[in-house]
Amino acid sequence: MSLQTIPARYRVTSRAVETYDTVTLGLEPVDQPIAPHQPGQFTMLYAFGVGEVPISISGAPAGPGLAQTIRSVGAVTSALCAAGQGQLIGVRGPFGTGWDVAGAAGRDLVVVAGGIGLAPLRGALLAALEARESYRRITLLIGSRTPDDLVFAAELDAWQERGADVRVTVDRAAGGWRGHVGVVTQLIDRVEIDPVATLALVCGPEVMMRFTARALCDRGVAPDSIRLSLERNMRCGTAECGHCQLGPLLLCRDGPVVTYQRAAPLLSIKEL
Amino acid sequence: MTGSPATAFADHAFVRGMPPDHVARLADAAAAVSVPAGHRFFEEGGNATKFWLVTVGHVALDLRKPGQPDLIVETLGGGDVLGLSWLSPPCEWQFGAVAVEATDAFELDGRAVIALCDSRPEFGYQITRRMAAVASRRLHATRIRLLDLYGAPAQGAGAR
Repeated sequence: MSLQTIPARYRVTSRAVETYDTVTLGLEPVDQPIAPHQPGQFTMLYAFGVGEVPISISGAPAGPGLAQTIRSVGAVTSALCAAGQGQLIGVRGPFGTGWDVAGAAGRDLVVVAGGIGLAPLRGALLAALEARESYRRITLLIGSRTPDDLVFAAELDAWQERGADVRVTVDRAAGGWRGHVGVVTQLIDRVEIDPVATLALVCGPEVMMRFTARALCDRGVAPDSIRLSLERNMRCGTAECGHCQLGPLLLCRDGPVVTYQRAAPLLSIKEL
Repeated sequence: MTGSPATAFADHAFVRGMPPDHVARLADAAAAVSVPAGHRFFEEGGNATKFWLVTVGHVALDLRKPGQPDLIVETLGGGDVLGLSWLSPPCEWQFGAVAVEATDAFELDGRAVIALCDSRPEFGYQITRRMAAVASRRLHATRIRLLDLYGAPAQGAGAR
């Protein structure tokens, strides 16, 4: 049995509260670790006795440890969010396709995140900043409901200093907020984009990704140079159960990262 | 307007692609302005007689609430048009606008532009189409925001 079907035991070594409903857990293997991951892949996290859910890996691929950012939206994610240091969690994976940020060397990166969609993009961004000289412009556009809902807020200044053009917009803000207010697609109109050289990585609510991809296409970026991270109800992670099917795709295997060229025809059909 | 400001004016997203004679007419009603952070362009309820083509900077549209912090409705930046209320009655600002940071813009006399539109229908058509496009983009963005995309997802959702 591989660690794709049987959970490996990992211990919670850190717990960072990102927002009122979102935490990032640092995990270290107790026994044999899962295979090294690529930015954009996900794992199945098992809260023992409660259940298992798919969670994006939010850390850079370095060492056997994992960083996973979890939003509390149900029984399993609530149990995972509540896990304290020392607690054991089951991990299967890594699963699915990654962003292939290394394959974009020499190009511009435009990274667009909506809400907790920044979590699966963080690993790609960190990998790109680690090899900063390998890329041309790196632009990070973040949309959030309010300033208090921003994840990884404490890291944004450091990313800017390391060479990313970081811009944040929120849907609602009170006086005192000095960033943008509006939808993230409006930021796309305000940044320099070289359409031929750009690879865009987009993650967030699906409707936000559709509008973002359209806005990028309007700026001349080709659909096959726009990558989205899609999600459905991943269960097995090994393309056997079919729960994550989206038309011809089994997203736990063929996704979560797919090109907009491939995804566009599937995103506006009510039933597939 | 001569030299570099004229080029910047013709390059503004609102003006770009306009016939040269229309650009010249519009430029006659425009003046380059630079304002510091904190400058208030207008207050909610005031007479709307001007609009601005923002070239550099950051402007917040806001609503004042007694005893509470101002609410920021939207922010605008370089390439945006500040002020839509001058174009149609009652020509009254619906929101306030304040510079969040030092801002450069072209300030246009709305009454002069309306007079030009009335006297030269082709020019008026250009201006109306472009203002309609600005309003359409704002409406589209507002509709997306109304979806509250980043709210709590349905239970059973996937990896995020």
